[in-house]
Amino acid sequence: MNAPERSAAFLLDEDNAEVKVTYASDTKVANAGTFTFNKEDHTMGNLIRMQLLRYSSVRFAGYKIPHPLVHQIDLKIQTTSSNSTPIDALSDAIEDLIGETGALKLEAESAIERWKKENSGVGVIGPF
Amino acid sequence: MSKQREPKIEILSIFPHEIKFILSETDVSVANTLRRIMIAEVPTLAIDLVEYHENTTVLNDEYIAHRLGLIPIKYLDPNTMRGGDCHGAFVPHRECQCFDRCPRCSVEFMLDVDFDKVAADRAENERDLPLTVTSADLQSNNEHVIPAHFLNSEEQDEAHDAGISIVKIGPGQHLKLKAVARMGISKEHAKWCPVAAATYRFWPEITVNDEACSTLTHEQKQQLIDVCPDRILELDEVSGKIIVAENAWELATFTEDLKVLQSTMKKREEDEDFVTVEHSQNKFIFCVEGTGAMDAEDILMSSLNVLSITLTNLRPEIENLREI
Repeated sequence: MNAPERSAAFLLDEDNAEVKVTYASDTKVANAGTFTFNKEDHTMGNLIRMQLLRYSSVRFAGYKIPHPLVHQIDLKIQTTSSNSTPIDALSDAIEDLIGETGALKLEAESAIERWKKENSGVGVIGPF
Repeated sequence: MSKQREPKIEILSIFPHEIKFILSETDVSVANTLRRIMIAEVPTLAIDLVEYHENTTVLNDEYIAHRLGLIPIKYLDPNTMRGGDCHGAFVPHRECQCFDRCPRCSVEFMLDVDFDKVAADRAENERDLPLTVTSADLQSNNEHVIPAHFLNSEEQDEAHDAGISIVKIGPGQHLKLKAVARMGISKEHAKWCPVAAATYRFWPEITVNDEACSTLTHEQKQQLIDVCPDRILELDEVSGKIIVAENAWELATFTEDLKVLQSTMKKREEDEDFVTVEHSQNKFIFCVEGTGAMDAEDILMSSLNVLSITLTNLRPEIENLREI
């Protein structure tokens, strides 16, 4: 009766004009802000957070899922100086992750090709 | 400043239903994200809508519809002729512009099994035995899309039926339906999950402290080697030292016994361990098993595609925040 549609876990709610990402600058702490990602979960949250922790300009990076029934992530970032804002740090993180995924794709394709060349004939093709 | 990692992949084995590989030089978060995407976000085909013309079987409509939904549906990629990624070939039905359904977003299967009609062709002594309606009776309207009846030829040889059994019918019973398959992801329903199991283990870093080991007697060394249920350690015949077994990385699972035994063997609490086994922080052994709907290597490539698309879609959203 009260169960939400399963697709609400990954589709943005257009009726309520849900946006993917919003940003709220922190009023009390300098160079800090919280990003709210809608319809995301640990899959992206942990990945982005761990990438942010690799930057020397990032003093604090953490994410949480405020409520398990609401599909939303709060990602809080604080940078060391105003030369690099939280948005800059997040932007860099996403760029690096896109680069890493591209490299991983190429690596996977070439690894599979190499293995198939060395082990020709294994793996039967055919619809069962 | 770019802190991009350069991950490496080494394939251990590829079968149609399973792929094992080692992912290295990257963080645990990447391995976990890859695993989560393989389980939840790789798009596949599954029966989503069933229209009944006739059902006089012992199972009711929704029961049979549930079973039909769980049948893995394979998309035969025209280039490779094996269970491939359906992402490019089909459109999710929510996004399709058609009125109700069309060949771009859905595939129709017809099923029509009448016990009395089939009974005429059966052998005399088998005529009254229950007839199993299987996934082999589903007829697709798209030649590239078929139900995945078996994982491999071994399973096919062992099986008694021609496919996945749906319902058993007896004399006078008739099942006639039209099933519509659509593309979806496992987050919406587990029937769209392409994997039976997608797991990764940490690469074990086994280090033998030769200095400390030299203080042990032969019996003590043998004790250390025998306490491991996985047999990851061996005694080198020539030097009499403890060495790590060749395929220790494959076998190592449980090392608590080793730790406990060492704490009793040590002369003082603070002494160093003789053998330490630790998780590697950047090397992982993946094992991905498919259900038969997609080949395991296609599951891996599809999950990398999904990750790439998700990240690429986030980029403009974040750039928009800058302007504000």
